[in-house]
Amino acid sequence: MNKIVRKLRPSHYWRIGEHESWFADMAAEGLHLKKMGLHFAQFAKGEPKKMTYRIDVSLNKKISSEQKEMYAESGWNYVTSYGEFNVFASPVELNAPELHTDPAEQSYTLKKLDKKLAVNAVIVAVATILMLGMVSAIWFLDGTPTLVLIEGRMIQQTILTIYIVYLAYTSLQAAISIRALRNTLLEGKSINHNAPWKKHHRLTSIIAMIYIVILVLVVAPSFVQLGKSNTKTLPEVSADLPIVRLGDVEQNPELVRESSYIRDNIDWSNRYSYHWSLLAPIQFQSDEHGIVSNKMWEDGSGVYSPSVHTRVYQLSVPSMVESLISDLIKRYDLAHRGGDFINIEHTDFDVLIVHEVDEFKQVFVSKGKAVMHVRYYGYADISSVIESTAHKITLISE
Amino acid sequence: MSYNGGPMTEAMYYVLLALMNPNHGYQLMNAITEVSNGRLNMGPGTLYGVLSRMQKDGLISLAEDDGRRKTYSITDDGERALRIEYSRLMALVQDGMILKEGYENE
Repeated sequence: MNKIVRKLRPSHYWRIGEHESWFADMAAEGLHLKKMGLHFAQFAKGEPKKMTYRIDVSLNKKISSEQKEMYAESGWNYVTSYGEFNVFASPVELNAPELHTDPAEQSYTLKKLDKKLAVNAVIVAVATILMLGMVSAIWFLDGTPTLVLIEGRMIQQTILTIYIVYLAYTSLQAAISIRALRNTLLEGKSINHNAPWKKHHRLTSIIAMIYIVILVLVVAPSFVQLGKSNTKTLPEVSADLPIVRLGDVEQNPELVRESSYIRDNIDWSNRYSYHWSLLAPIQFQSDEHGIVSNKMWEDGSGVYSPSVHTRVYQLSVPSMVESLISDLIKRYDLAHRGGDFINIEHTDFDVLIVHEVDEFKQVFVSKGKAVMHVRYYGYADISSVIESTAHKITLISE
Repeated sequence: MSYNGGPMTEAMYYVLLALMNPNHGYQLMNAITEVSNGRLNMGPGTLYGVLSRMQKDGLISLAEDDGRRKTYSITDDGERALRIEYSRLMALVQDGMILKEGYENE
């Protein structure tokens, strides 16, 4: 069994002449082409031999046996195919006749491929534009790009989109190149079978490196995020969690937990989730609902049932604190409730912004590299919310 | 690029000419060299392309197909097209006669 050697193809698949001269150069070094993959060619190690290679585009995806036989009779042996591209080889000493003696006739063999690549390019371009639109809508539609960036849920999709843009670019390139080749042939100029391949080889290697880096960038954080994200039911006591608890705000011994939605053993109305991203390695979110059975809402809508919702971020880049707060306000402003966002000086916080409308209260705060957003619905005073928040934010502000 | 009665490519013309006698693959290449008095050595790629296109256009047809070897022959349409092309080429050459006279006058 011959040893198999894999090599990165020097340039894009549609560069026929460069591949032909590359295969010949490899054969002269004793590497004989066996198979061609998407990015790598497989060679069998053997004796160095002077070989001529020709790549012939077939009208159909699979080349007919009649065509192979006809070529073989003239001294051209079929080696392998990739897509519509078929590789034939002949020892130099055999002096086999050139496959194509009439460039204009050869241009007809590219007609189908040309059409296919053109349709392809259009479809990919449209799909890419749609995808770009979708991704940029998520980033910018509600004007909170910092929040999207920090939560890190869109990073992979965005990198993927960049990759798809690159794919669209190459399929456009393929269509243009084959069209150009078709026209060149039609003018009677033949393919340059000795086209130098080394220049593109370096570029291809660089692109392959970028490709691998992108892959690592997409895959590695995904696994970390998966491993560092979870949702759990809130314990009754959670002194070590940077979450504002309903009990701390209400200060009412009659308060009991109200569970309305339990699935997968998690009480979703009384839960906390944690999450990780590169820019915010500590992230928490919590929901908590309670009920005080001997107390009624003043508007008579039923038994008093306060709730609190917390969002917590510890940033790895503290300078992003301000724009994160402004994005949080933008996304969770609940403008329909009216009321003002009031900036208050407070010794426990770097920033404290309060929004209060009747029993609806929310605070946006930061301290050091920590940012919190607490939304409370109930009769407790806003100062109680601020006090609890001040206590909790010290857990992660350093 | 179906044939619409316009000028033929050189490759088409000679393949049709060679197929006045049914023939196949490799031998056909030799027949073309012969019928062109050694002027045209057609490569197998060009030949295969011309054959498959002209078959689609109905200028030639499969006379025999034993699975391994396909023998082609010219159709009536093909022969008609070939004769029209021949007359056209004759007319072209005729028109070019003035070049010859001009040369002789010198």
